[in-house]
Amino acid sequence: MFDDFDSRALRRTDCFGQRFMKPGTYRYGVFPASGQHLSQERPYVIKVDEGRPGQKMKQHNIMLSATKGGFKPDKAEIGIDAGDMVVWNCPEKAMTPYAVVGDKEFFASSRLVNECGYSHAFGLPGEYRWVDAFGGPVGGVIRVRDPGVKTEADLSKWRETLAQGTLVMVDDQQAKPREVDIMVGQTVFFAVTKSRGLSITDERLLEKRK
Amino acid sequence: MAEITAALDEQGANKLLDGAIAAIGTQVKSGSGSLGPFVASYTVSGTLTNGDVDLIPPSTIRIVDLRLDWHLDFSFGIDLSDILPDFCLPQICIDIPCVGEVCTPKICIDWPTISVPISFGDFVKTTADFQIVVNLVGADWVVSIKVLGVPNLQFGATTAALLAAIGLAVTPILLAIPFLGPFLAIAVNAILLAIGVAGVTGFLGPIITPFVSGLTFEIYKQPKKFPVLPAAGAFDPAVDITIDAIAAVVANSGEDELVLTADVSP
Repeated sequence: MFDDFDSRALRRTDCFGQRFMKPGTYRYGVFPASGQHLSQERPYVIKVDEGRPGQKMKQHNIMLSATKGGFKPDKAEIGIDAGDMVVWNCPEKAMTPYAVVGDKEFFASSRLVNECGYSHAFGLPGEYRWVDAFGGPVGGVIRVRDPGVKTEADLSKWRETLAQGTLVMVDDQQAKPREVDIMVGQTVFFAVTKSRGLSITDERLLEKRK
Repeated sequence: MAEITAALDEQGANKLLDGAIAAIGTQVKSGSGSLGPFVASYTVSGTLTNGDVDLIPPSTIRIVDLRLDWHLDFSFGIDLSDILPDFCLPQICIDIPCVGEVCTPKICIDWPTISVPISFGDFVKTTADFQIVVNLVGADWVVSIKVLGVPNLQFGATTAALLAAIGLAVTPILLAIPFLGPFLAIAVNAILLAIGVAGVTGFLGPIITPFVSGLTFEIYKQPKKFPVLPAAGAFDPAVDITIDAIAAVVANSGEDELVLTADVSP
């Protein structure tokens, strides 16, 4: 088994987050990864209001469920304020990888542009070298250690570490920090501030394709 | 009164059975069986080797230390969610500078179904009593011996060894499942406890025992009609005799012997 780590193909332990900075109506669809190219349908809606100046960012979660040939959000339409973030996750067991794709260029998990994020919980130990599958220079390394659980106490200690996430800030040129050391089960959140469009992709997936 | 009598002492019977048992060769069977709560599909091969023959009047041939070498290839599926509780990653909150706090939801993982292939071999020795069976099969008299009852095969240390083999086989499979690594020892224990010694014995017994129970093998075959003198010319044809009946017993005439008697007619 392989712990697939690719923002273009979201899986069960992945989340995609997108901030909406300007008021308006944003339509989107959720497709099996790469399926967005086959469909122009964007049936779900995010209505963004002005909000109040200086207002703190709020988070809105959308849970997805798999349907035949696609995915369905638990709320087909939500209303948020400008500056808020929407986070998508699909908790289902048997599901194909998916992408959340909107009708604006900045809004797609398959190509991370502005004010968005991708999180992945790492389930297997190893060294994960990630790159931008769209050819940009950005990249980094996530080293995932086995916690070496031998006793009940080790297990409890390891469980406590699971609540600690790691943040990696990413733009077109660099990732900060570039190298991260975590333990199995921990989550890394990649926050993309501004970019022309990139992915966070395990380079082994690209080698496989070559 | 019988016209032909042949007798074999225990040493001779040992030689006879060495050949007869070797001639059975390796037998192969496939099927499925219960391995504790799991269902395993298997292919098993078994080869018998003669032990020490003890002739017991009036009609028993006992083979002490009859050895069965067996090799078992099997695989079974485990839905890990049946034996391990679901595991949940807690909600994780991260403070993004100039943005604010972002939290992932609690994400629960239910475990997959795995398939475990195992290759394992051992031998078992048993003592079995056989009875002599004489039949006219077509144009031949066939003397066979047939096992009496169902020998009780003792797997003993094999059970523990097979459980250990299951533990070894399952470990790399579990290690490849995301998030399971830290629970490896718990998962292996859960699987081995679910199977248990009873599960292994209950699996091996019905698979291995049929190699011995119901075991019948031929020790002598003779055409009912056969020439005792070949033709010696146009006016001197072959002389045939017919075996009308064959009887086989274990008799004691100073020592135990396997005795075959035949009634013949021209």
